[in-house]
Amino acid sequence: MTISDRVLDVLVGVAEIEDLRHDPDVRLYDLQILDSMKTVELIVAFAAEFGVEISPTEFDREDWATPRKIIAYMERKVAA
Amino acid sequence: MIPYADFLYFGILLYIALPTVVIRRWLGFSRAWVLLATAVMLMLQYGTLTHALPVNVPEGVGLTGGLALSSTVAEVRELWVVLACGLFQWAVARCSLFLRARTAWYWPYPMALLLTVLPLVAARFLPLVIPGSHLGFLGISYMTFRSLDVIFGIQDRLIQTLPVDQFLAFLFFFPTISSGPIDRYRRFRDDWNRPHPPAEFWKDLDGAVHHIFTGFLYKFILAALIKNSWIDRLAVGGFLNTVSYMYGYSLYLYFDFAGYSAFAVGVSYLLGIHTPENFNRPFLAGNIKDFWNRWHISLSSWLRDHVYMRFMLIATKGRWFTSKYTASYLGFFLAFGLMGLWHGIEPYYLLYGLYHGALLVGHDLLTRWNKPRRVWGDGPLWRALGTLVTFHLVCLGFLLFSGRIGPTWKPVGSVPPVTR
Repeated sequence: MTISDRVLDVLVGVAEIEDLRHDPDVRLYDLQILDSMKTVELIVAFAAEFGVEISPTEFDREDWATPRKIIAYMERKVAA
Repeated sequence: MIPYADFLYFGILLYIALPTVVIRRWLGFSRAWVLLATAVMLMLQYGTLTHALPVNVPEGVGLTGGLALSSTVAEVRELWVVLACGLFQWAVARCSLFLRARTAWYWPYPMALLLTVLPLVAARFLPLVIPGSHLGFLGISYMTFRSLDVIFGIQDRLIQTLPVDQFLAFLFFFPTISSGPIDRYRRFRDDWNRPHPPAEFWKDLDGAVHHIFTGFLYKFILAALIKNSWIDRLAVGGFLNTVSYMYGYSLYLYFDFAGYSAFAVGVSYLLGIHTPENFNRPFLAGNIKDFWNRWHISLSSWLRDHVYMRFMLIATKGRWFTSKYTASYLGFFLAFGLMGLWHGIEPYYLLYGLYHGALLVGHDLLTRWNKPRRVWGDGPLWRALGTLVTFHLVCLGFLLFSGRIGPTWKPVGSVPPVTR
């Protein structure tokens, strides 16, 4: 499985919305699909899935605004 | 001298603003100039006030054989208190950075956090313990939150270096030192270090003028009018008076604070630092969660990132609670309780904070309850109703914040309240 697939699995699991797989540019925070609580769940889930520590302040809401952006962020994070 | 409070301040600011325009236009963004301007403005803002600090002086041997101490009060210029506080924060941050890279970080991290809030806590409580003393200064709460941001950044390994000029510029930046917006160190640092192309100056100047004149409209016209013609005439209690006061005070608070923030952002832009906005039409918020994304944005996002999310992270990883909602709701009370206390130690401030915590919990519970049942709809009328309800809940909160109806107590010694 690619990183992209794994990220989407985690995201869909936290947001509980399957459609996120098919719409990579949906504005997650603007549409209240993600909020602070779900962001923390994402951070914890990414830590479990990829073994990376993410702090709440290391990214802007804009960096995680859409599924596409989150995938790009995690690909950079895992590669680093 | 209180920043942006009167035309005297703006008159003096002109002596800074005009050279700033000349320097930026012909020389470009100058860090040295920003530091110099900050030093000058700080001397003007804090140089004229003195503090009464308690000093314990040995008076010789007492009756019981011990050393008798007499408490006298020494007069200290506020400027030195401010500088001492800033240098203390720098020392704590610098030691934290050193320890982060080298030793076990387990105990230094909470120590660093405690030391950073120590000046603020001391300023709040010292007058109660030693009557006649006065340690706080205008801006101490904001400075403390900026310093904490640095400690958190060190903890997260997002801050690897801490040049003293950069840190002090961030801490003392004069447009925002007295009442925010609360900037973040990394954002400020990026602004401080990046190239500022010449074309950007004109955009910054345009933004600065727009913001400063918005500030004049909000603070000197609208807020002043509301104060003089509306709320100052409602000194006496009574139900209708209190309701009228509630609306008036809420609007006054918005125009005064948003006006102040507009000044701060405008002057920041003039200097080349893009301080983030603090308000975004807050009374148009559809619900209480939306409200806190629009009111005092720098404070609410600070609390969200550094209190709520960190608490949730620890609680989730440590599996402290069976339900994630329990953790979330406790997080709301923690974050907003702190928000209340940050304003001051009067009980009505804490009540104000907890009130908003309760509103946020209530909103989340209602949203979850409503999701399968769809009692509360989605259309424009529902949204308008939500906006109206939110506005009233918020106004009630401000009535609490004003101290007019909340519990209060007078500190022993009756010193002037510690300024924010």
